Amino acid sequence: MNKHRHFNPRRRQLMGAALGIGALGPLSSLSFAAGASGSANRFVFVVLRGGMDGLSAAPAIGDPEFVAARGALAQFGTTPLSLDPTFALHPNLAQLHAMYGRGELTVVHAVGLPYRERSHFDAQQVLESGGVRPYELTTGWLGRALAPSAARSLALNTAVPLVLRGPGVVDTWAPSALPDPSADLVARLERLYANDAALATALQRAKTLHFDAAMPADMNATDGPGMGNAVRAGSFTALAQRAAEFLAQPNGPQAAVLELGGFDSHANQANPNGALSNTLRQLDSGLAALREGLLASGTWARTVVVVATEFGREVAINGTLGTDHGTGGAAFVLGGAVKGGRVIADWPGLAKRERFEGRDLRITTDLRAVLRGVLADHLQVATRSLNSDVFPGSEGVKSLALLKG
Amino acid sequence: MSNPSLLHAAIAAHRFGLGEASLEAISGDPRQWLLAQIGPAEAPRGDGLLSTAQALEHVAAEREKRQLAKNPPAGMTAEQVLAGHYREVIVADARSRLLTAATSTRPFAERLHLFWANHFTVSLAKGATRGLVGAFERDAIRPHIAGPFETMLLASTTHPAMLRYLDNVQSAGPHSRIVARAARRAEQQGEGPKITGLNENLAREVLELHTLGAESTRGPGGSYSQADVTAFARVLTGWRVGVQSTDPTQAFDANWHEPGAKTVLGKVYSEGPDALRQVLHDLAFHPATAHFIATKLARHFVADTPPPTLVDRLALTYLRNDTRLAPVYQELIRSPEAWNPQPMKLKTPEEFVLSASRVLRSNPRLFERGEAGVGISTLGQRTQAAPSPAGWSDRTEDWLGPDAVWKRIEWSTRTAHRIGSSVDARALAAQSLGPLLSPDTQTQIERAADGPQALALLLMAPEFQRR
Repeated sequence: MNKHRHFNPRRRQLMGAALGIGALGPLSSLSFAAGASGSANRFVFVVLRGGMDGLSAAPAIGDPEFVAARGALAQFGTTPLSLDPTFALHPNLAQLHAMYGRGELTVVHAVGLPYRERSHFDAQQVLESGGVRPYELTTGWLGRALAPSAARSLALNTAVPLVLRGPGVVDTWAPSALPDPSADLVARLERLYANDAALATALQRAKTLHFDAAMPADMNATDGPGMGNAVRAGSFTALAQRAAEFLAQPNGPQAAVLELGGFDSHANQANPNGALSNTLRQLDSGLAALREGLLASGTWARTVVVVATEFGREVAINGTLGTDHGTGGAAFVLGGAVKGGRVIADWPGLAKRERFEGRDLRITTDLRAVLRGVLADHLQVATRSLNSDVFPGSEGVKSLALLKG
Repeated sequence: MSNPSLLHAAIAAHRFGLGEASLEAISGDPRQWLLAQIGPAEAPRGDGLLSTAQALEHVAAEREKRQLAKNPPAGMTAEQVLAGHYREVIVADARSRLLTAATSTRPFAERLHLFWANHFTVSLAKGATRGLVGAFERDAIRPHIAGPFETMLLASTTHPAMLRYLDNVQSAGPHSRIVARAARRAEQQGEGPKITGLNENLAREVLELHTLGAESTRGPGGSYSQADVTAFARVLTGWRVGVQSTDPTQAFDANWHEPGAKTVLGKVYSEGPDALRQVLHDLAFHPATAHFIATKLARHFVADTPPPTLVDRLALTYLRNDTRLAPVYQELIRSPEAWNPQPMKLKTPEEFVLSASRVLRSNPRLFERGEAGVGISTLGQRTQAAPSPAGWSDRTEDWLGPDAVWKRIEWSTRTAHRIGSSVDARALAAQSLGPLLSPDTQTQIERAADGPQALALLLMAPEFQRR
């Protein structure tokens, strides 16, 4: 595989020379000097694309209908990891299970969007925009939530995901195999973009991220300290590690967005070595890396991570040992600030008559109840702002209390 | 620089084409230059390109290799057995796509090919398509870009790459012979049957992404229900070419087909393979499809939010011409809305790298070592590997993230340093951008510290990035 690595180490040497190779070394000392902004809470939103099957990720093994409803999908390669008498986690979510045991993870089940159709692309638009119908809003709920405080935010991606778009500017970061441009060229490009506001803004943000010594060096993700060789550059785990480095900075972003695809499990999803099992393993490993990276600086205690997907899947197995698009599913809320060790579900049951349109896990918790709770209690977003700007029309959705204390 | 046809030549070259090193050749009649390019895409360039039948044989051989690798012959490791697994074909396919677009004398036709290949996305992001994506583009898209949409829709939907990408090869009629057989066998062996019924993936995406559009993008009268999706999935059962047979003309396997008539969008279709042609015909002629296709074309060439009057005219043209696309393109080229001197779109990474390579005439070096593909990947658009069946975004904001712009600067810097001072960026800016080149940009390029820097400034100039 080494032959096919996309990212060569040259970047690391260039930036390493300027800033010291060990990103974590200097960072941990900097964190002692953290001022007011350094103690600010951190929020991470993880978008799972493709529609995660909530009943695979967090199977309701104690539901009397589970085995009959799921057929071959009720069988896992090894025993699911028990959470309580009703719910368990997929065997590949072992590190999440450990967080649950430590009281750092809450599972929210039978959760979903106000949108009830089954298009990936419309549902993702609703998930990220915070609207009720696709395309009624063209910016993202997190972008709007952060606007009043002008908090910094970061997407671990080349493009800005919709959820972060809003009045403010957003940083994006992804690994590169290419050499950095000279400061001189960048200065000339700034002049060149004098009449092109969009390009000028993008350049300004990127420049800050790459040239500002307060931020970690832009280096090869595989070769950094504490990063095993097993972590592939650009993988979800590598991006999560990098997100942790940015977030642990005293002047780092307050919010970050990570994305993981590969959940559209139309076929063969029960296979313990199949695509869905592998994707869940990546999710588990990435979230564990995020935690690990935030622990040393004490940032984890001030962090909440919400993991959500655009929709769940049909309860019944389809004709190809997979599941087709559905509505209700599961979400995860984790972090040192989370009052975890709980499964929050107004459980509708899996019997056919209880299913939405006789087909899907019925949504009994609005995902916005989770997001409103976290934004209000963790990022101190005012209720008025939640009602009018962040999730317009959501005043009737009761926020969930998810944090400690 | 007030020659209006030179301005139109610059717009034609960048908005409808992939950039030209010199505008002179097209400045006589830029509209005619575009109109003359409308037709099937030309034969793709490059070596090692497989037909669909050959690609299916190759896939079958690679699968045998994988079996062999589980138990490698004496003296060989599993890695040796699997050496180069699919790689040659994938590299040849990507290289051909880029090389053809970078060297064609009909860049508008190449843009249309890229557009339709994205509309009917088949992506390497899913392992099941490996070795088939290039054959799909060459056989299902390129010959049909100017023909009836109906023909391209049928070619795409029944191509083995699409049937695999969206899981149709595994979808069985719940009452089909194969399901009954699987159930009997499973009972004998005391385990659960592997094949039991439908997989809706292809049915849903044909409706949502290829024809009528999603709820949010749909024109009036284009709504469909979950029952329509399921019924269409039943129509599609049996279409699974290349799984048991590598003969692309043997696309339909009646053993997998769901017996009985099916009702899709209120119309009844009889059992058998002809039903798919009829459903696709009806979908292609549906006004919601006309609206959806017209919107996507106008968004691609004109603006993220295209003028509704233009969309309506294109949709009407499409329906009046029985879904033939050539008249739609002609209408687009003749529309004044398409010639706004203010560029409304940002080139995608692929369009940017291709237009840079055309303007620099740097093709051989850039493509021989697969460099162009690596570059485009780093810019966030891995060739033939869109992240989902919806394809790559066609909206400017999705390509304008800070990191995205930064990587374009990095790529331009490296490319400019490789080309060195052998190119006079000042002259090239004037020749390739014509009246689009602003005095400010011209001044910045003239004042550059050295040749490579001047070239990087040209490539990163708003006039070159936008179209």
